[in-house]
Amino acid sequence: MNTLNCIPYILKQIARHRVRSLLTIAGIAIAMFLFTAVQAMNTGVTEATQARADDTTLIVYREDRYCPATSQLPQDYLARIQRVEGVASAVPIKVVVSNCRTSLDVVTFRGVPKDLWLEDTAGATGNNVTIIEGSAEDWLRRTDAALVGETLATRRNLKPGMTFDAAGITAYVAGIIRSDSTQDHNVAYTALEFVQLAGRDQLGIVTQFSVKVTDPALLDQVAKDIDALFATAQEPTATFTEKAFIGRVADDVIELVGFARWLGLGCLAAVLALVANAIILSVQSRIAEHAVLQTLGYSSRLVALLIIAEGIILATIGGLIGAAAALAIAHTSSLALSVEGTSIPIVASTSLLITGMLICATIGILAGLIPAYQASTRDIAACFRAA
Amino acid sequence: MTLIQCRGLTREYRKGDQVIRPLDALDLDVPRGDFLALMGPSGSGKTTLLNCIAGIDTPTSGSLTIDGTNLASLSRNALAAWRSTHVGYVFQLYNLVPVLTAYENVELPLLLHKLSRAQRHARVVQALERVGIADRHTHFPRQLSGGQEQRVAIARAIVTDPDIIVADEPTGDLDKPSAHAVMQLLQSLNKDSADGAQPKTIIMVTHDPKTTDYAKHTLHLDKGRLAEETTAAAHTPAPEEALA
Repeated sequence: MNTLNCIPYILKQIARHRVRSLLTIAGIAIAMFLFTAVQAMNTGVTEATQARADDTTLIVYREDRYCPATSQLPQDYLARIQRVEGVASAVPIKVVVSNCRTSLDVVTFRGVPKDLWLEDTAGATGNNVTIIEGSAEDWLRRTDAALVGETLATRRNLKPGMTFDAAGITAYVAGIIRSDSTQDHNVAYTALEFVQLAGRDQLGIVTQFSVKVTDPALLDQVAKDIDALFATAQEPTATFTEKAFIGRVADDVIELVGFARWLGLGCLAAVLALVANAIILSVQSRIAEHAVLQTLGYSSRLVALLIIAEGIILATIGGLIGAAAALAIAHTSSLALSVEGTSIPIVASTSLLITGMLICATIGILAGLIPAYQASTRDIAACFRAA
Repeated sequence: MTLIQCRGLTREYRKGDQVIRPLDALDLDVPRGDFLALMGPSGSGKTTLLNCIAGIDTPTSGSLTIDGTNLASLSRNALAAWRSTHVGYVFQLYNLVPVLTAYENVELPLLLHKLSRAQRHARVVQALERVGIADRHTHFPRQLSGGQEQRVAIARAIVTDPDIIVADEPTGDLDKPSAHAVMQLLQSLNKDSADGAQPKTIIMVTHDPKTTDYAKHTLHLDKGRLAEETTAAAHTPAPEEALA
């Protein structure tokens, strides 16, 4: 029995029941759009907060502070931090954000000592930062120059040579950077003094220190040593791994995204209900047709397979459209969830598209199982009597 | 030579507390090449007998042997495979798949066979030509008249070249000229044809005594048993006398 011969029959059933198929596919696409969007945020949270074995970055923040506007540490802590055993490098950073609240379009300025930052990113433990447009020379030459993260540049349509305004700062775009670290995607790196002097005079004050350790195994020990060093200082510190720091600062957003997982599961349940409903209605309206197929010699197993295959095709087409639309929007709009100067990317990857389609195909199978079983075990003669 | 042999064929089913027995220990022999009409009042067991012979209903007891195969010994899947090669079924209400064209409807049974696309095409065209509907092969059932739909259904029944064609009131939903044409077509299938196709053994259920004029034998059933047998010199009535 050549089952593959029957695929055109299934496709004709879908194509020629146009309205029913289109409505079903549209419903599935909308649900999968939502599911994929939620998953893209979930993936971003995981990427931004889940510790990896090769993480080497610590963030030194002002103790009991959660906002870059209130975390104020003396810049001269730098020399003492650099002397802590296990520290490979340290960079003082002054953070200014265009919006303290959670938003999809926050511009974060990070003022850094330019030479120190370039040296730090180029080191063995650096974030593999590459200038993909513009030049480092241009950045070093101008005080107001900024190296802009790729996501921010795409979202604000920034090109080298342009100027842009955010958080009361007017900066010149000297280059656009690509980085392995999600925290670099959505920021503009400028001269430390430039940001310190923006708004009010805060020379000598930084928001945080970004510290690289020589060995990932030393992260906890170095964090403890740094905090111990400033425990009795007027401005005590709280040091975290970079991922833990994001988890702490963006706790509310992470909680919301975590709750949105239920929304994602709800979307999958909606897809299951939609496909199951479409298949059940289709099977109920075609009881005689399935009996005819069996009369012609189609085995009950083949009839069941045809019904399940219809569910798989409908669900997969809808899933593909919905997931692809969500990924396309996430990709082209370059949005990121930003809170208190940290950034949680919305990760639109091909693997998410494939996962979405696999889930849809599985749902198609599940949705078709019961109607397929019912259709294939019905008494053929009784189907004609009922019709 | 006997093609279909029924011995003590009984079919029972329950409806509430009642046991209904449409076939009651029926004995019947149908020779190869016969054109048999089954008549009888409603509930006499005609369609049940037809469905048992077509392998879509299962006798409760007794034996049904077709060309040496005891149908009771076949599993549900084996029975489906047997149907795909040995039986063509013509329904009263045609039962064409509405979203498929005439061509695609006729092609449906061939999808189960290991045939190339070209081989399938040749057989579909041959079947459609045989029933005189080749020029309507792209039409959907809703675009065809009842007579044309029944021709497509007959083409679907013969496309796999089965030994047996069972027809359940094939003219029951047709006007007289269309009914005459369909009966002539069935009669022609019962005879040797110019294209080398074997004569088909045809078993037809009918309520209309006029259609029995086209058959070689007529059996009358009553309460699941044979009541009477009529053997007629099968002839093709002229259009003016047919089904008048």
